[in-house]
Amino acid sequence: MNDDKLKKLHAQYKDVPIPEELETIIEKNLQRPLKKRKRKLPIFSISAAAAVVLFTVGLNTNPAMAKSLADVPVIGPVVQVLTFTKYEMVKDEYTAEIQVPQISGSSADIEALNEKYAEEGKTLYEQFKADIEEMEAGNMAVNSGYVIETDTDELLSFGRYVEVTVVSSSTVMKYTTIDKKAETVITLPSLFKDDRYLDIISRYIEDELRNRMIETEGSDMYWIGGTEYHDESFGVFEGISPDQNFYITEEGKLVMSFDVYEIAPGFMGLVTVEIPTELLQDVLVSNKYIK
Amino acid sequence: MMEELEDAFITFIRTQQKSLYRLAYSYTKNEQDALDVVQDSIQKGWLALKKLTNREQMKSWFYTILVHTAIDLLRKQKRIELIGDESLLQLSEQDTYQNLDLQQALHHLPLQLREVVVLRYFEDLKIEDVAHILAIPLSTAKSRLYKALKLLKIELETEEN
Repeated sequence: MNDDKLKKLHAQYKDVPIPEELETIIEKNLQRPLKKRKRKLPIFSISAAAAVVLFTVGLNTNPAMAKSLADVPVIGPVVQVLTFTKYEMVKDEYTAEIQVPQISGSSADIEALNEKYAEEGKTLYEQFKADIEEMEAGNMAVNSGYVIETDTDELLSFGRYVEVTVVSSSTVMKYTTIDKKAETVITLPSLFKDDRYLDIISRYIEDELRNRMIETEGSDMYWIGGTEYHDESFGVFEGISPDQNFYITEEGKLVMSFDVYEIAPGFMGLVTVEIPTELLQDVLVSNKYIK
Repeated sequence: MMEELEDAFITFIRTQQKSLYRLAYSYTKNEQDALDVVQDSIQKGWLALKKLTNREQMKSWFYTILVHTAIDLLRKQKRIELIGDESLLQLSEQDTYQNLDLQQALHHLPLQLREVVVLRYFEDLKIEDVAHILAIPLSTAKSRLYKALKLLKIELETEEN
């Protein structure tokens, strides 16, 4: 570099202010990725001070809850999802709002789920408290709750989400589908005769997402090969696993769901793909759930 | 082996974080997007790390990811307009640069010209690496650099070629 103008430009380039949060974000992203498919609640490593805690047991009455209750007929399905416990904290720049769902019902499957949700909600809250203890500056928010995707006479599909915001936010979503009559949890493999569904669904997802990339000329991006938009050497989607996230719509369509970074760059957020039933017909056990 | 490579990756990102941010910022021009680009790039880096065979190339390997990620984001936000090389090289100083100071002039350069200057001079990469990162032929990298400097009215004592 042997020109004054370039030196001046270089100095200006170096002068770009570095945001305080950079280091926090870097450290958060430098944690080795959790082993595939064994995703736990997100772990954060951050900072500050004791906190005011509101602990509500029982059904609470915030607007979001009122809305999800309004979707549930008063007389009708017995199996419902309700907010059981809520953890809240607001302290300086830190906020946590964690709703722990509980499913009404008495089968072993449902009891196991309720126990798991209670445990995860508590762990998430403890983790948040520990993280802000270590944090020196900045802000952080944890927001966790659930959304009901489908609630019919036969089926209840809902997703539990954990959204962690440290400057930018990331969301993890985990869906559960319950047969309301039998009070059993429906797993992906239980819908199918054998393993062939894995390949059928994976290939359909590849085609579908590739088409979305082509149609939007790359403004939608997925980690799928075969187009100019994604460089395959960065890694591509290989296929779904038996415990892949899914839900079933009111019309009985199977929808596969992918978390942030699972199949696309972070800016794409959560990704869902509805699978046409005719592709699955040969391998479905029956059309009881998937139509 | 993999663990060592992961350690090297972590060290690289940690020590170079400011450079990475500045480079991202040179594309996005805003703080939030630059942070997102850095974050997405690290996540992609984890995914692609097993394909990095030569550890010596960590820097140019990661810059490639970061540059792609930044351009993807601009494309997603429809903030990008890529221009063919033929038109690029026909730009003249009279077009838009007359009344701008130096820094503004740099910012007004088409992205494909600006990024070559940023990588070559501010990130101090060899022109060969710049070409590699941007996935363009060496000759194209050189002609873009030459054109960019000309538009900025910067004359070097020693030319790139």
